[in-house]
Amino acid sequence: MPKIENPLLVSLYSYYVDNILSGTTNIDEANQKLRDLGYEIGRQIYLNTEIVEKTKESVTTREDVAKLIEVVFKILYDKRPADVDMKTARGSVRISDHSCVWCQDVNLEGMRGFGYCEVFSGILESILEVKGVDARVFQEQSRATGASMCVWNVRLV
Amino acid sequence: MSKDLERALSKLRFDDQVLGYSLMTKIGRPFVSFAFPDELFPRIKDSIKLYKADLRLMTIDTEKGLVVLSPVDENWILTVLYVPELQLGLAIAKTKNVLRLLEGIELPPPPEDFEDSSEMNIQVLESIAIKAASVVPSPVVVPPPEESKPAPEVPSKPAKKLSSKDFNITPITVPERGSEYANSLLLDSALYNEMKVLYRNFGFDVLMLVDGNNSVEKIADSMFQPIDRIIDLLKWTASQGIIDVPILDESPKFVAAGTSIGKYVKCPMFDGDTSKVSNEDIQLIRLCDGNLTPEQIAEKLNLPIPKVVQTIAKYRKAGLKMIGRTV
Repeated sequence: MPKIENPLLVSLYSYYVDNILSGTTNIDEANQKLRDLGYEIGRQIYLNTEIVEKTKESVTTREDVAKLIEVVFKILYDKRPADVDMKTARGSVRISDHSCVWCQDVNLEGMRGFGYCEVFSGILESILEVKGVDARVFQEQSRATGASMCVWNVRLV
Repeated sequence: MSKDLERALSKLRFDDQVLGYSLMTKIGRPFVSFAFPDELFPRIKDSIKLYKADLRLMTIDTEKGLVVLSPVDENWILTVLYVPELQLGLAIAKTKNVLRLLEGIELPPPPEDFEDSSEMNIQVLESIAIKAASVVPSPVVVPPPEESKPAPEVPSKPAKKLSSKDFNITPITVPERGSEYANSLLLDSALYNEMKVLYRNFGFDVLMLVDGNNSVEKIADSMFQPIDRIIDLLKWTASQGIIDVPILDESPKFVAAGTSIGKYVKCPMFDGDTSKVSNEDIQLIRLCDGNLTPEQIAEKLNLPIPKVVQTIAKYRKAGLKMIGRTV
């Protein structure tokens, strides 16, 4: 049995996910609702944490965005992302995490396309918005649905 | 030219099932390569020599994987190494897919002297092309760069045309090629351009796998893409007559359903050593096959739910997992 980090958060989040899944009929909609949740709490996070002190006032380049993401990771998870990839695709930044907090010990079957950890997309999107960056964030793959790691894509608009 | 070439080749580079590739001259000298094992070159050269001008699409089964050779034009041969477990048909389809992208690009003949497999060679090729044309290539509207990831905006607005909602596509649907199929794959057709605007090269990739045998699920599997995204695209192509799929029944509840998911449940599944399970629990643990919810197990054994939860929790260390799924 894997040791769960932050069981309170994981239990609360899984409760929320269960609720969303029982209230929606479609995976895109469920993903969007999780992003919405993240978007709502993103502002709270920005108000309550040191992200504001540790980041530049205005974020303009992709390098700035990558730096901001690292700060967010440090403050929320106390670690660094496994990878912040700016090279593979133009106009977007891809973040990967081998041990994502949100989907610890979650095993989903046959739910391809469902981003279990989409909440983080919303969080990032709203923090980026506060910093004046117009971006769409979505989860590309999640360990919950069998991937080897969780990957988010930050698409700069 | 070099941009288009790079884009076509990058399709291979970001394909998980591609181990390496090499663009070779007609005598089998590697010109531009990516992660292609050197020890395979002599063997490929021999095969090319054997066929000379008659070379069509050829596959070689090597210990490293499946090699697909295909002539691009009279001067060039594209060689791709796929993972050994990839089906032959898919490997060929993938190769053809890239060949089609190369079709629109005029590749000049290779320079007489070059360094094997050098990254700089693409630029060399470009300068030849420019010299050959002796004019600066006219500015072409370059489509947005191909990226190997799902576009977020596509799923969010499914089906621009109303008519695409009239098709019923599920993961087990087997789409067939429709009357506009061939037309949609022509690089200069209006349909191709429309698809490109809407779906980029994703549309192309999916259509390559539509052959009347592959189900939607299989296509999604081989492309490592979410089923929803494939269905979304297929519905659009169905509305354009590119593919043939069953038409939806006129019952309104299905129209609203879209990519519907069933009821979400979490079912315990025991995947460990049953000898570690004590006799009093074995009956319950045997029911933990990933198909029954704790509530259903409680009902079957006529036990209170808290008792079931307690027992399940006890065996988490021994390999019991909770599997989430929709039923």
